[in-house]
Amino acid sequence: MSGLLSLLARHGYAVTFWMLLAEALGLPLPAAIALVGAGAAIASHTLVGTRVLGIALIALLIGDSVQFWLGRYSGWALLGFLCRLSLNPETCILRSAESFYKRGRVTIVIAKFIPGINTMAAPLAGSMKMRYSQFLLLDFAGAWFYTLTYLTVGYLSRDFLAAVLQSFYAAGRVMEVVLIVAVIAYAGYRIVQFRKFKIYDVVPRVQVADLSARLSAGERDKLLIVDVRSHGYYDKGAERIHGSIRIEPNNLEEEVKNLSKDRDLYLYCT
Amino acid sequence: MAHLLREKGFNAFILVGGLAAWRKAGQPLEPVPREDLVKLPTFS
Repeated sequence: MSGLLSLLARHGYAVTFWMLLAEALGLPLPAAIALVGAGAAIASHTLVGTRVLGIALIALLIGDSVQFWLGRYSGWALLGFLCRLSLNPETCILRSAESFYKRGRVTIVIAKFIPGINTMAAPLAGSMKMRYSQFLLLDFAGAWFYTLTYLTVGYLSRDFLAAVLQSFYAAGRVMEVVLIVAVIAYAGYRIVQFRKFKIYDVVPRVQVADLSARLSAGERDKLLIVDVRSHGYYDKGAERIHGSIRIEPNNLEEEVKNLSKDRDLYLYCT
Repeated sequence: MAHLLREKGFNAFILVGGLAAWRKAGQPLEPVPREDLVKLPTFS
């Protein structure tokens, strides 16, 4: 514990930069806690406020810009990968897209405060072909808002944080045991969540040859081939499976109202 | 998404390999209809 604190004291700017960059790139790291710690360090004159703010903004804008351009060129493939980190791919993508539907561009500004959507906002904006200059402006506002909020929390709660840290030192080994137990409990929770969402893997999968055989056998009226891509539909000249219909993944509730439950649905993407 | 459809009572399957596998197998394709191309929201 003391080693970690010593590391933070000696490399505060670097820790802030890399933690925020990693979070902006989609890694599940507690960047907000790093900012709170930096805020407390600013209050105790260990770090310089303007420097921390500048470093944090640069890290967030770099990470978000990388995500934006990856989203522009890889679309849902990247979104799916990022959502896999959240253990619930389907809901993650739909929830993020829904937020854009409801709130529009302002999503970029507030996204960093919303778990799950924070990582998705930049690639989603890229995928939805937002102008980069506009994205950068909104993302700058969001990064500024996010950074300043947590730095302020840390700055104002310096005494409280100091008391907590002193308690850590005083409790010594007991606190370390408590921390280890908490980490194990959290890991257990994540494993339970992972197993819970493994049900996504039990949806039956069908080979092209099998579907083709059904079509050749004249069973087209007993099935529907459903195109659930999103990103591909931005591109002129895009192709799809002959005779397939489209379901917009972001608008599932409305789309399914017109579907018959008497026919088998064969879903495909890119 | 297939799982969500199954939850709603649809008999949904996933086509392994998606469009790429279908194309590779030489199965018939068609252009995406023009009206579908403008269905998604974009900021452009």
